[in-house]
Amino acid sequence: MVPVVLTPAVLACKAVVAVLLVAAGGAKLADLPGFAASVSLFLPGTTARRPARTVAAGIAAGEIMAGAASLSSPRASWLNLVVLAICCGFVAVSAAGYRWHRGRSCRCLGALSRRRFNLAGLGRSVLIALGAGLATAPVAAAAIQLGPADRIGLLAGALLVAAAAFSAAAAVGRGAQDAQPGWA
Amino acid sequence: MIRIPEYLAVAQWALLGALGVLVVIMFRQLGRLLTGAAKTAELGPPVGGKAAALTYARPGDPAERRLAPGEGQPLLLAFVDPTCPSCEDLVGVLGQLQAAGELASLRALLLISDPPSYLQISDVFSSTGIEIGRPVRPAGLDYYRVSATPLLVAIDDAGVVRAAGSVVRPADVRAFAQSCLLPAPEAALAVVPAVAGRGEDEQ
Repeated sequence: MVPVVLTPAVLACKAVVAVLLVAAGGAKLADLPGFAASVSLFLPGTTARRPARTVAAGIAAGEIMAGAASLSSPRASWLNLVVLAICCGFVAVSAAGYRWHRGRSCRCLGALSRRRFNLAGLGRSVLIALGAGLATAPVAAAAIQLGPADRIGLLAGALLVAAAAFSAAAAVGRGAQDAQPGWA
Repeated sequence: MIRIPEYLAVAQWALLGALGVLVVIMFRQLGRLLTGAAKTAELGPPVGGKAAALTYARPGDPAERRLAPGEGQPLLLAFVDPTCPSCEDLVGVLGQLQAAGELASLRALLLISDPPSYLQISDVFSSTGIEIGRPVRPAGLDYYRVSATPLLVAIDDAGVVRAAGSVVRPADVRAFAQSCLLPAPEAALAVVPAVAGRGEDEQ
């Protein structure tokens, strides 16, 4: 059990990482072709549209579901491990992207972010994974005791964030895009 | 006094923070679209200048081809990528114009920087009948200043850039196509700045 003074930090890490997952998933859904292109970077030999898009849609939907579930069910400690595993996946992808696809857009937040595979991106994903790791620390049951109405409210909030991220990413995606490194 | 669980308070602030950031992003983008200020600085070649030559290769064909503006044929160059949603819109509009015969008097060419395998990711790109090429040498690309995509460049038969900008509306794309067919004094399109919604100007 973490000390009481650290409880807010643990809870904040859990909530922020969950909201981040939901927003990232929503934004990715709005830019499936772009994200599918990023996915195909890591699927050797799979450049056909359908597999890459299917995997991309699966990842985006999975992020939303994992984030929403983690946010609205704080007592399910196994969800913390699922989120931690996802975040470790981000670190692995960032490291592989930094190693083999440096400078290309990662589309980690769909069109919302112009981030590319670079050292800063790798650092950010490590930071998120550390946050997810801290969120696995056990806290007092009273701090995470939610009623059904609370859980439904958080779930609705998570879906609202996903919808807002989708809308914002779709709006941003309809503007001119930063050119890919190949144009430089 | 009602006491709410600590986690609920923290989660609510996290949700509120995320929503706040997303609202700011949407308002900023709305402002950009309304004012046409999106990424127009340093985009595209100077209008009125002599267009630079490019070397490109077609997908699946390693043979290098030279694109030399000013050899008697008007050119409509679209710098696009399959991973860019607005580029899909532009390619779709170009396809419609081509099907309607409006590009018959000029040569349209889609230039991509993404690997050719990415063409399969986009329905629009994989099914277009417009020629696609990928520049194989950096020489000439600097001239076109492709700092954002999509970028459409209209070049007349003398090799002079008549219009350049990030456009996707059918009326704008049609104006670009027509600008490289007109005599020089009438082809006075400036850089068209804004990327706007598809089909808005269609009557």
